[in-house]
Amino acid sequence: MTCGEFHARLDAYVDGELPVAETAAADAHGADCPRCAALARRERELRRLLRHQPRETAPPELRARVVRDLRRAALRARVRPWLVAPALTAAAAALVGVLLLPTLRRPATLVGDFVDKHIAYAQLERPAELVSDDRAEIEAWFRERARLRVAVPDYSSAGIRLVGARLAEAHERQAAYLLYEKGRTLLSVFMVPVAATDMVGAGTRVSYRGHEYLTREVKGYRVVSWSDGRAVFGLVSMLDYDALLECADAARASQVVSQ
Amino acid sequence: MALAHLDALYRTALRLTRNRTEAEDIVQEACLRAFRGFHRFDPGTNARAWLFTILRNVFLNRLRREGREVFQGDAMLEEAGDSATLEAASASPEEEFLQTVVHGDVDRALNALPLAFREVVVLADLEGLSYREIAEVVGCPLGTVMSRLSRGRRLLRTSLAGFAREHGYLRGPA
Repeated sequence: MTCGEFHARLDAYVDGELPVAETAAADAHGADCPRCAALARRERELRRLLRHQPRETAPPELRARVVRDLRRAALRARVRPWLVAPALTAAAAALVGVLLLPTLRRPATLVGDFVDKHIAYAQLERPAELVSDDRAEIEAWFRERARLRVAVPDYSSAGIRLVGARLAEAHERQAAYLLYEKGRTLLSVFMVPVAATDMVGAGTRVSYRGHEYLTREVKGYRVVSWSDGRAVFGLVSMLDYDALLECADAARASQVVSQ
Repeated sequence: MALAHLDALYRTALRLTRNRTEAEDIVQEACLRAFRGFHRFDPGTNARAWLFTILRNVFLNRLRREGREVFQGDAMLEEAGDSATLEAASASPEEEFLQTVVHGDVDRALNALPLAFREVVVLADLEGLSYREIAEVVGCPLGTVMSRLSRGRRLLRTSLAGFAREHGYLRGPA
């Protein structure tokens, strides 16, 4: 790389926006050319200065105003559903799930709740509170945070990677939420320590390896749910039912959730 | 989602409007619009860029509604960026002057940037958006974003050097 080529790419280089090969070439040029290296240092210095400016946070009154507005808008969308297309109603419900998860009326069924949360968490910058692929660490985290005894299933043999965990709330209970991904497809696993099975809701009954499951498609996501009498489990993903049932079976094999 | 991004939206609104009351108003309106337009949001795309885009549109609409000038003409932008090009082209003792800059200087320098430069510098250097995200937010090709960013930073550096001279940290022609 020449000095001219380096200058032409300086901003993108310092911003980390160059392709790997060009970054390597710029690194090599900088190592040989003190003048260009000084230019890059100077650019980094400016960015560092800007990055370290005091970061203001939204005033509490603004936060309260926004929450109030959204709650009102959400209620209007619920009260007058004929004003909006069905798709919009579903989308509004999804956004409400994201924005006002703790404050609005809960969905009628756990399955609906699982799907709303799956959509909501996928929108967050950090869907997992605890980012870890260490099952023992996650199990200990649930025990300490919420006295939830959870066995975290291992799906690595199916190419499904554990991303992390979060404490969720479902039907006024603290629930365990596990996030996995296969490639770019997310898989949410919910475990709610409630005995009642009628909250799971409607669905198609499926028998898989001797166990009964409910399958249901909600807002384009496939859900497999079941209860073992002590807890309700739900898997939500775009993965196909075969993969989800396999995951359900693996979870069921070792699962104990209690509070 | 919007609440998770509320602080970033507010900070950016402050930089765009340079006025707290106005910033709060546009954030409030943008969040409501995000809610109403959520059905148009594709869950596979970038939520942060989408929210910043709405915020910017609310801000620009407000400027237009009030008859305020939105952007300077392209020719003026070219000129503004180019006047700072020469100074930035060579590494100089100014490499060190940034150490002497105080926070108020950065605010002054950012506030003095023409809007077209200020918005890209704020999104990139204060909020950490990628070139692609910024292109989505401001509705410009990637090349335009890169060029505005580069010129905006040069202008910023020139302003900061001017302040360093004022403070007596830097000698030489202003």
